[in-house]
Amino acid sequence: MLPTSQQTIGPFFPRGFIGPADNDLTRISADATPTTQGEAIILRGTVTRVGGVPCVNAILEMWQADAAGRFNADPSFLGWGRTFTDAEGHYAFRTIIPGGFTDATGARAPHANITVMGAGLMRRVLTTVFFPGSDTAQDPVMAAVPTALRPLLVAEPARREKGVRCFRFDIRLRGENETPFFDL
Amino acid sequence: MPDTPWPPGIEPVVPVPGYPNTWTHTPARAPFPRAAGATEAAAPTALHHKLPDGEANLAERTKGRPAIGQLMEISGRILDEDGRPVAGAIVELWQANAAGRYAHAIDTSAAPLDPNFEGHGRIRSDADGRYAFFTVKPGAYAVPVQETWWRPPHLHFSVFGPSCLSRLVTQMYFPGDPLNEIDRILQSIPDPAARERMVARMLPPSSVGSVHLGFVHDIVLRGRFATPEG
Repeated sequence: MLPTSQQTIGPFFPRGFIGPADNDLTRISADATPTTQGEAIILRGTVTRVGGVPCVNAILEMWQADAAGRFNADPSFLGWGRTFTDAEGHYAFRTIIPGGFTDATGARAPHANITVMGAGLMRRVLTTVFFPGSDTAQDPVMAAVPTALRPLLVAEPARREKGVRCFRFDIRLRGENETPFFDL
Repeated sequence: MPDTPWPPGIEPVVPVPGYPNTWTHTPARAPFPRAAGATEAAAPTALHHKLPDGEANLAERTKGRPAIGQLMEISGRILDEDGRPVAGAIVELWQANAAGRYAHAIDTSAAPLDPNFEGHGRIRSDADGRYAFFTVKPGAYAVPVQETWWRPPHLHFSVFGPSCLSRLVTQMYFPGDPLNEIDRILQSIPDPAARERMVARMLPPSSVGSVHLGFVHDIVLRGRFATPEG
């Protein structure tokens, strides 16, 4: 059977679908204890379109491995989160630095996948965020991107918040410094 | 997506004429191809804790206080590309009320809100891949852009399948609505057969009864051809 076509998520994705801890990847639900494995971090950024105009109520979903580079292995770590951008286009996720791993595609550097959906986006877009200080030279996804664009996929260190390391990863849908996106 | 086994015309063509947002939001650069690895093939197996089952009855959240509008049941199956049912898929539905207004702070239309209709629900498909919501038929509404157009009545679906690749956000339309033919979002899908698959089928009213209308809509998630071998 042929897959159902994608359509835009539109501007009106209900706030009622997004719970208080949905942007916290370190726990499986709002009332669960966060994982004790790995270094907790905060990832923040702004989603913008042409001209740097912020995207309001863009929906972001983030998915990553646990601290040991495994999926669905640490029962207290979900590794998935969802959030929306505020009036200034800002988003934030709480997560941990993921572990690297080797799979059929090669040696994957620590990374998280982020999908963005929103008004004006007829299909979701997918990107990958890497973390500064980790070696991405062998990573097959990084290698799929021209050298000059690779820095756009690396989060930047930001000021600590309450002792927690923070990183910044801005997503430009279109225009100057447009984020590299992937086809799946 | 390049190199996919699907015929062309299934995914929307962007930018969409007459819809300026698509010119400012759509990436100018084509997406980079990449091989699907562990990250792309996996998905959280415990997602239902964070996205618990919610309301399947949008039309009468409080007993005795039905929403205004044409009551309807929408039901169908979540399938994979082999036609097999996808059990346990998380299915989110949201929509405008019968007047064409969303219960969302961003919707500033003058159409009235209905205090008995919030317009969203979340359930999981059963062992046969089946889902069902009880709701009202949404109204059409005008899109506030310079060259305005009316969006036909439609339901929004967000579905979580067994892998990140099978994540789908789509919309469903109603059969026979004249606005379908001029909707810039539905018509952004080039293939007429693909558009037809986004239109629900109405059950014969005689088989549904006198309380509500019945519509059936199956959703096919991608996955098989995008999943790495072995």
